[in-house]
Parts: sequence; structure tokens; C-alpha cells
Amino acid sequence: MKKGWSLRKVSIEAQLLLVGIPVVLWTMIPVYHLFLFAISPRDKATSGKLWPENPTLQNFEFVFGQKHFYLNHFWQQLGNSLMIAVATGLITLFVATTAAFAISRLKVRGGRTVMNMALVTYFIPAAFLAVPMYKTMANYGLLNNRWSLILAMVTIASPYCIWVLKQASDKLPWELDEAARIDGASPLQLFWLVYVPLMVPSLVAVGTYALLLAWNEYLYGFLLLSKETDLPLAVALGNFLAADDSPWELLMATGFIYALPPAAIYYAFKRYMVSGLTAGAVKS
Amino acid sequence: MASVSFSNIEKKFGKVKIIHGISFDISDGEFVVLVGPSGCGKSTLLRMLAGLEEITGGEISIDGKVINDLDSKDRDIAMVFQSYALYPHMTVRDNMGFSLKLRKASAEITNKRVGDAASILNLDPLLDRYPRELSGGQRQRVAMGRAIVRDPKVFLFDEPLSNLDAKLRVAMRAEIKALHQRLKTTTVYVTHDQIEAMTMADRIVVMHDGIIEQIGTPLELFDRPGNLFVAQFIGSPSMNVLKGTLRQVEGRAWVESQNHQWPVGTLVRARDGQTVAYGVRPTDMRLSSTGQGIAAKVIVVEPTGAETELLVEVDQTPMVVVMHGRTDAQPDDLVYLEVSAEKSHVFDETSGLRLD
Repeated sequence: MKKGWSLRKVSIEAQLLLVGIPVVLWTMIPVYHLFLFAISPRDKATSGKLWPENPTLQNFEFVFGQKHFYLNHFWQQLGNSLMIAVATGLITLFVATTAAFAISRLKVRGGRTVMNMALVTYFIPAAFLAVPMYKTMANYGLLNNRWSLILAMVTIASPYCIWVLKQASDKLPWELDEAARIDGASPLQLFWLVYVPLMVPSLVAVGTYALLLAWNEYLYGFLLLSKETDLPLAVALGNFLAADDSPWELLMATGFIYALPPAAIYYAFKRYMVSGLTAGAVKS
Repeated sequence: MASVSFSNIEKKFGKVKIIHGISFDISDGEFVVLVGPSGCGKSTLLRMLAGLEEITGGEISIDGKVINDLDSKDRDIAMVFQSYALYPHMTVRDNMGFSLKLRKASAEITNKRVGDAASILNLDPLLDRYPRELSGGQRQRVAMGRAIVRDPKVFLFDEPLSNLDAKLRVAMRAEIKALHQRLKTTTVYVTHDQIEAMTMADRIVVMHDGIIEQIGTPLELFDRPGNLFVAQFIGSPSMNVLKGTLRQVEGRAWVESQNHQWPVGTLVRARDGQTVAYGVRPTDMRLSSTGQGIAAKVIVVEPTGAETELLVEVDQTPMVVVMHGRTDAQPDDLVYLEVSAEKSHVFDETSGLRLD
């Protein structure tokens, strides 16, 4: 009896490994490749070895020292990426939180319509909207301005964030609002003193989502911005491939650096990410 | 402290009318319990008084001032919710002081008021804890503390004890009652539990389907229920009711039900031959020792120590008898029931109204 049970457990374990190992390999091999390139000297990068004979940090020195034509604005572009991502995260958070609060807690008229429209936006892939967005930004004279990318990313991130936050808000007990109203709270006080503190996990999750979305964005950055000093690093990385003899090892080193902040952020907030994004997914 | 007055209050949700013109007054310092089965409109009525529901028709006034259009916060009321509704991210101290903070009271006043309320409710050692670290009874006391700190004109309680276990409920019942006797603040208390209503209220308002069935002190309702609904709602176990025909012949009156005659007092508003509902409380029947009375077959004997509850059948109609002390009666035994005429209740069969 006991053996049968443990056999079953082993079998489940084996099945999980059977799925897990390929998934890990699938995701990690490119990352390992990236890392391998980044620590290889230029002429040894494509040698096909699992570990370079003379691993070096010289590539990173080149990157940090901006010692290559493609890397002339590395720090500026990293700063652009950071600024765009943080601004997108904060603005999206503001838009989505206030919208969710108004719809879920204040029950404003038309709230349902807003939610339905937010849902409809999912049917349209972001890439479809790239050209119309370009036209719109041109109309407002925002091309070649980092705000155009920020506004575009806020537009893309907001519907999903509103949806997630609305679902999470709906789970807060209604009596809390009523108690606060009787205690004398205005809607704004209710928002700041009761609603926001209780929503922190969801807010962190949603803010991080918007931030990473903007950090990783390529297409819109490529379209809306063209001055080298305005570009986010993602677009600048793409420009490495403009020439025939791309400095692969520098591209990979820069890419590796670029991938670290999202990993760090995700690791720091993973507790919130899981609970925050699933909160409201199912009614408990 | 204040008086409260409901005048012809109506409430509609969409097209459905759930409160049909309710009027009654609560005097200063009174403890009034609204009681009734779920869906009777008692909570809605309370929430209209609290300003959490719009008033469709009629007027509610506090101290003679109509409050229909005032915000909750301007009505000078405090409410205790069934789910406690404590702010989970604030300590007990901050929960209790929240309303004062919103009113920008000085720290000195807030500390004093919170301290006073805490000592009344024995919450001093818990002031720096969070709601999640408290037991159900403690949370309920904090919710009451939050209400006391406000020093409102009227306390509102919405089924505050329903989430507590039976033993704690009895203890909190006494605590709320004691609190009221100490503070003498006008209180409106909603419950579906008639025992809570009976034990705590100065006056009870029995509601059913959006109307008031009867208003009175607990013992008035118990001794002279105005209609069949109140008769069966108030009292536990509930009143035995059977259908029968009223007989009034030569100054003697009784109710004929199947093969038995049930004694009744004098009924001025009734006539001979009228179909009636006859009610008698389980505690108002005795087992006859003389072998006279109404024959009944014992089905179940439930000893509870001080009392014994008997489920019996009279002409296939189940009835409950509660007797003090103990009995030798066994299931399937035949017993005889004695009922005194003064303790009987007779209601019109169609209108359900009391007939004396």
C-alpha cells in the first residue's frame, strides 16, 4: 500500500520533471548563450565551446566606458529606458488606480462601459496600432520626444491594469467603505486612507507590469523616436545590427546588462506579482 | 442623545417595493430592536437611517430635524456592522480614532476619547494590535469602541452578533445591554434572532415583508401577540398553532379542533362558528396528573436539565410541550395535556389578527 503511494508520487514527480527540464533548458540556453558571448573575446565568440578558453570582462569595460561607435550614448540610453519605464509605471498606476476606484467603489455611471471597452482593446494587437499611434503623435507634435513613447505605453498598459485592479477592488469588503463614510471620510479620504493601503499588493504588481512592459518595448520606441540621445536601450541594441560586421560580443554584453534590472525587479516583487495578478481572477 | 422618527418610509429597489410606508418613533435613550425574518426590510430601514441607502419616500428625522438629504457623516450616528468592518491596515487605536482624525481633532482629545472607550470595553491591552490579531469577540468590541469614540446621537447595530459563536453571543449581548445602560445613547439594533430582541430591547419592532407587524415591549409581544405572525415569531420553541372552529355557547367558549375542545377566554370580537387559528405556547401546557385533558402521544423526549421538551402528537398534529423538571414519559406513551384558557391565543384564520 505504502509502496504504491510512493510509486505514484515518484510518477508525478517524474512527469513534472519531464515538463520542467525542457522548459528550463528552452528559456535558459539563449540566456546562457548571451552570457557566453558577453564574456568571450571578439574573435572567439562563435567558437562553439560551452565555456570560453579565456573568459574576459573586457566587453563590459567597453560598454561602461562607451568605447564603441554604437555605444556612444550607452548611459544616456540606459537612463532613457529607466525614465520611460518608471514614468510609464507611475502614470499607468495613477490612471488605473483612480479608474478602478471610481468604477468599483464609487460605482460611477458608465463604469461598465469603460470596463467593456478596456476588454475590447485586447482584441486589437498593439502592433496594429503602431502606425495610427505614430500619426497621432505626429499630430500632437510629440514625435522624437520621449513623452510620446511614455504616453503610448500608458495607453497600451492601462486597460489591462484597470481590469486587474477593478477585480481586486471588488474583493475589498463593501462595509469598509460604508464604515469610513459613516466615520466621516470624503471619497478622496476613502481613497488615500483606506483604499490605497489595502490595495498595495495589487498596485505593486500592476505597476511592475507596466514598468517592465515599457522597459522591454521595442516597436514603439523604434517608430516614435529617432534621435540617438532619445532612444531607449532596447532600440539602440537593435541598431547594432545595422552594419554587416556587428560587434556581437558588445551587443550581448549590453543585452545582458539590459536584462538584469527586470530580473531584479521581478525577483524583488515576485511575492506581489503572483498574489496581485491573480487576486480577483477567481472569486474566493 | 436624540429621538428618531420614521414617517411613512418607503423603499424601492428598481421597481420592487420592499418597504411599504413605515412609521414609528424612538424616544431619547431608548433601545429599540428591529426584528424579523431575512428579507423583511429591517436592515434596509437601518441603512436608510444611516444614510447608506437612499430613501424612496417618507421622512426620517433625528431630534426633529429631517435628515433625508444629509450625508452619513453629518447625521451624527455611529454604526456597528455584522462583519465588524475594521480597517485591516490600522491598529485598534487607529481604528477607534479614525473618525476623530478625519475631523482633525487634536491628538490630546483623540487619545483621551480612545482611552476612555478602550477602558469601558477592556480593550486597553489590545490598542496596538491589528484586527487580524484579535478574536471575533475582541473585534466586535473594537467595532463598538469605534462607535463609542464618536459619541454619536444614535448607535446603529446591524446584526452585530451573528458572526460570533453561541456562547460569545450571549456574553456580548449582556455587554451591549450594559453599555447602553451606562451610556444611555439612543440605539437601533437589527437582528433576526428573536432571543436577542427579547433580551436586549426596551421596545421591539417586529417586521415582515416590508411592514411593521407589531411594536411593543418584549413581554407585551410575548403575552399578547397582535397577530399570528408575531405569535409564531416571538418565543422559542415557537407557539403551537392549530386550526379550529370557535364555539361560544351560553357564556362558555372553546375551540373545536378535530376531536378535541381547547379552552379559550372571553372573546368579544368573535362570533360562534368562526374559523380560527388557536395558539398555545409550549410553556403554557402542563401534563395532567389526573388523566383529564387532551390526549396526546409522546414522540420524542428531550431533557435539557432544568426543563424537558416533549414532542407530542394530538390528532396527528405535532405539538411541543415544555415542562419544568423531569418526566417519566417515554416515546409512544399516552399523556394528557392541560391548557388554561387565559394563556390561550385566538386569531382570525384569514386576517391572522388577534381576536380579543
